Amino acid sequence: MMTKTIISTEKLCKTFSSGGNQQHVLKNLDISIAEGDFTVIMGSSGSGKSTLLYALSGMDKPTLGTIDFAGKNLAKLTQDQAAIFRRNHCGFVFQQIYLLDNMSVFDNILASGLLVTRNKQQLVKKAKALFQQVEIDEGSWSKFPTQLSGGEAQRVGIVRAIINKPKVLFADEPTGALNSAASENVLNVFTTINRAGQSIVLVTHDLKTAVRGNRILYLKDGVINGDLSLGHYHDCEDVERSDKLKHFLAEMGW
Amino acid sequence: MKLALANVRKGKSATASLFIFILVATLLLNIGLMVITQLSTFFDQKAEQLKDPHLVITMNQASYHSDYEAFLANYSGVKETETEEVIDMNLANYYFGNGEVTNNIIIFNADTKRAIAPAMRIDQLNSFSGNDIFVPYSFNTDGGYQLGDDFTITFQAKQYNYRIAGFFETTMMGMNNNGVMKVMLPEAGYQLLSDQIDSDAKGMIISVLNKDKSTASQLKEDFIGYVERFQSVEATPSLMTLDIIEVKEVSTLTVNIIATILVAFAVIIVLVALIVIKFSISNNIEDGIVNIGVLKAVGYTSRQIISSILLQFMLITLCSGVVGIALSYALMPIIGGIIATLTGLLWVQTIALTVNMVSVFLVALCVAVVTIVSTFRIRRISPVHALRGGIQTHNFRKNHLPLATAKGSLHLLLALKSMLTSSKQNVMITLIVAALTFATVFSGVLYYNIASDKTAFINLFGTEPANVYIAVQPEANTHELITNIEQMNHVSKVNIFDLINTKIDGQNVYTNVTDHYNNLENDVVYQGRQPKHDNELSISWVVSKKINKGIGDAVEVEYGAETASYLVTGLSQSIGNLGQISSMTLDGIQHLQSNYQGTTLYVYLAGISNKEFMSEIQKQYGDAIIETLDIDENIESQTGMYTAAVFAVMVMVLIITVIVVVMILYLVIKTLIIKRKKEFGILKAIGYSTFQLMNQIAMSYLPIIMIGVTAGGGLGYFFTNPMLSLLLSAAGVKRLSFAIHIPSIIFLCLSIFVLAYLVSMLIARQIKQISAYDLIIE
Repeated sequence: MMTKTIISTEKLCKTFSSGGNQQHVLKNLDISIAEGDFTVIMGSSGSGKSTLLYALSGMDKPTLGTIDFAGKNLAKLTQDQAAIFRRNHCGFVFQQIYLLDNMSVFDNILASGLLVTRNKQQLVKKAKALFQQVEIDEGSWSKFPTQLSGGEAQRVGIVRAIINKPKVLFADEPTGALNSAASENVLNVFTTINRAGQSIVLVTHDLKTAVRGNRILYLKDGVINGDLSLGHYHDCEDVERSDKLKHFLAEMGW
Repeated sequence: MKLALANVRKGKSATASLFIFILVATLLLNIGLMVITQLSTFFDQKAEQLKDPHLVITMNQASYHSDYEAFLANYSGVKETETEEVIDMNLANYYFGNGEVTNNIIIFNADTKRAIAPAMRIDQLNSFSGNDIFVPYSFNTDGGYQLGDDFTITFQAKQYNYRIAGFFETTMMGMNNNGVMKVMLPEAGYQLLSDQIDSDAKGMIISVLNKDKSTASQLKEDFIGYVERFQSVEATPSLMTLDIIEVKEVSTLTVNIIATILVAFAVIIVLVALIVIKFSISNNIEDGIVNIGVLKAVGYTSRQIISSILLQFMLITLCSGVVGIALSYALMPIIGGIIATLTGLLWVQTIALTVNMVSVFLVALCVAVVTIVSTFRIRRISPVHALRGGIQTHNFRKNHLPLATAKGSLHLLLALKSMLTSSKQNVMITLIVAALTFATVFSGVLYYNIASDKTAFINLFGTEPANVYIAVQPEANTHELITNIEQMNHVSKVNIFDLINTKIDGQNVYTNVTDHYNNLENDVVYQGRQPKHDNELSISWVVSKKINKGIGDAVEVEYGAETASYLVTGLSQSIGNLGQISSMTLDGIQHLQSNYQGTTLYVYLAGISNKEFMSEIQKQYGDAIIETLDIDENIESQTGMYTAAVFAVMVMVLIITVIVVVMILYLVIKTLIIKRKKEFGILKAIGYSTFQLMNQIAMSYLPIIMIGVTAGGGLGYFFTNPMLSLLLSAAGVKRLSFAIHIPSIIFLCLSIFVLAYLVSMLIARQIKQISAYDLIIE
């Protein structure tokens, strides 16, 4: 079966200028992301992983090149057009979680959901279902984010990211600030929703996280150095899959 | 000191806002206090410098007796007296400001040598002609005349044309609002005019200079008593007396009111500055709690930290205070111009070091107290607590307006949520906006009543707001003329409305006479009622105080050679005629003069211009009429100076209101964007557009601004009249009912509201400069 490309870039470049110095972070990248894939972007610190993620999601503009996402060239969108695009097509999960700490957990979800739909009743129903899916109990819905544990907060973050059924869920080091048990829970959620058809692009430098993906892109000095296909994740006991990833990363000089 | 300077550098926008607030406050306070403290001395010094009399008495030459001057010269406390011939044009017309006025003009011979009031010219032409006239300085500041302009006096239906050859300063008889105006003609012109006029207009003036000017009023009373005794057989001559105390009161009243408004507004601005300081300190403590912890940990005492904050605000206050004082001197020529318009005297600004220091000291004291009180909580912060981040910037005990259940659009709900999390700030903004709205409404109402709908303002002067005044020939049949005029097209009604000189219990009082007070538009009685029957009269509270009689008391009224007793039915008020007025019915005055029929008609018109009607009435009934006068034009001319002064005050209040609203919102929104930068980044990341966020920010201030504007508008609606009554109570106002034009108030309130929204949107545009990515990675 032919997979459908959901994002494709052509000669994508990103350069940062500071005090007359130019730093070329992304260099002429031609990437395509397939629908339904769980794509993991890896690389050493400063390799441009997060820059690539935010460029692909329309959060930041490339210096040169095109990003074709759902029929739109993101490089040409204004800030507000990009915002409207993000609310309709993208979901975000951040390392620092970034829930709005002046709102309750439930309001965090609705503040995102009500941007897209006016059907509050249906949205509330959907939010509750998603909470159950990620195992956030009802008692926590009215709490403020600061009253949740890190793992709980990140799972709320995932609910917020998928409440509008985004075409792609972008995650930047989603387990970076969590302990191993909480990380496992969060990763399970990612796996579950990916199995349900959600496309995911995730940045990480953590092996346990990366192994959940079915495609690994390795970024080095602003270019894609390696592209590994792992196939879909089944369970954590899959040693062969893990070894394959380790071998790949070793080849990449990680 | 280093800490204080570092704090100043850190909060540049807060420092700049505070600097401006304190600058404006010191500026207004200093101007207000300088005027209030210097005005009285200025007037007295002017009177002394100009050698102006403390009392002037004019009378017809036929009534004059040399014993009068002898009485005055021998009166205890009198330093100097001087008597000279003058031309006394009672009810003369001339153009002044925006229209024609009717006044008593006293014409002096400019070439007569005199020791009292030699008339110092402050400006004059270089060459002189045969028709030159010298006029008071108010003709230039208020009347709109320049040197060389033509000036025409209409008196007893004849026109006398002159050229203005010079302006002179005078404290006595130099302003329209005294009812008498002094002008001077050179010898040749004076003699020519003297030959042309009737003997009725030939008068004598006695000028008196006392050792102590405060005794002038008593001297006046004693002199009138003396003249009455002297002329016991005949009718008392008609005297015009003016003492310096009453003239000073009238001349300085409006300036004092304006200065008081400036001081009151300065107080509002100081309050705004204090609220900003309180807000700024609370923010600094919350944001810099870790720094405070570090300072405490390395050994700084609470006192040292508080001192650094105190020093920071005192530095700002002193710097801006000094600049404010310097600016106030730069602006004083404008205020001097207003004073010149309202007093007819050339304002000379002197350095008032004590007042300047008091202004800065008062502001600095307030700032110091608020700073110390606001920083007091630093004492309670322990270093460990502070280093851990200490106090939470928000207390989320309640999730206001849950999105799942609350009604309303998403953005409105988010804006309201944001608003409800900062209650202290809301109180601050509400108070500031309410105070500013009140000040704006107050000045707006003042201006509306003085420039637009003048009815209530004119009522204060006791003026009847008819359209045309007609002086009837003594031999004409007044009632027949009334009947004829009433039948003319466009005439709504006609009233007899005479103003005659009477004596009530021995006091000289201007008495209005009309047949039915119900027919008048202006009811000057504030307690009791106007007379209905022939044995009744109302008196002003000034007269009531002088004769110690009130409602229900009987008083003796003297008119001509007759005296009769009347019952007081009401107390009235008037700023005009020095507050000494009474009112009687036509039947009532006929007890004193049986053939009295009234000689002044007030005509109320509809659908015709006053000038057209005046021309028509002259054409039809010219034989029965001495003269006609356009009352509207007269009022316009008399109130011109107040309009200009109040307009200046209103413009100032409006400008400052706009500046303060803009600065407060700038300060608050800028702080909000910095504090919630991350949150806005998250919202942008999940798809909120810049416009939506800007709108949310602006909308989050709208409810509190609405509350502030409504409260300020309400206060303005209910308290403008009581406050103005208080301000004008010294001038004899007991009841004041300025029209509160609700559409104007609503317009002002809405303008402030819309301004606040637009300014908020404009300031919130800063969000546009920052991308979601930048906000997140910060």
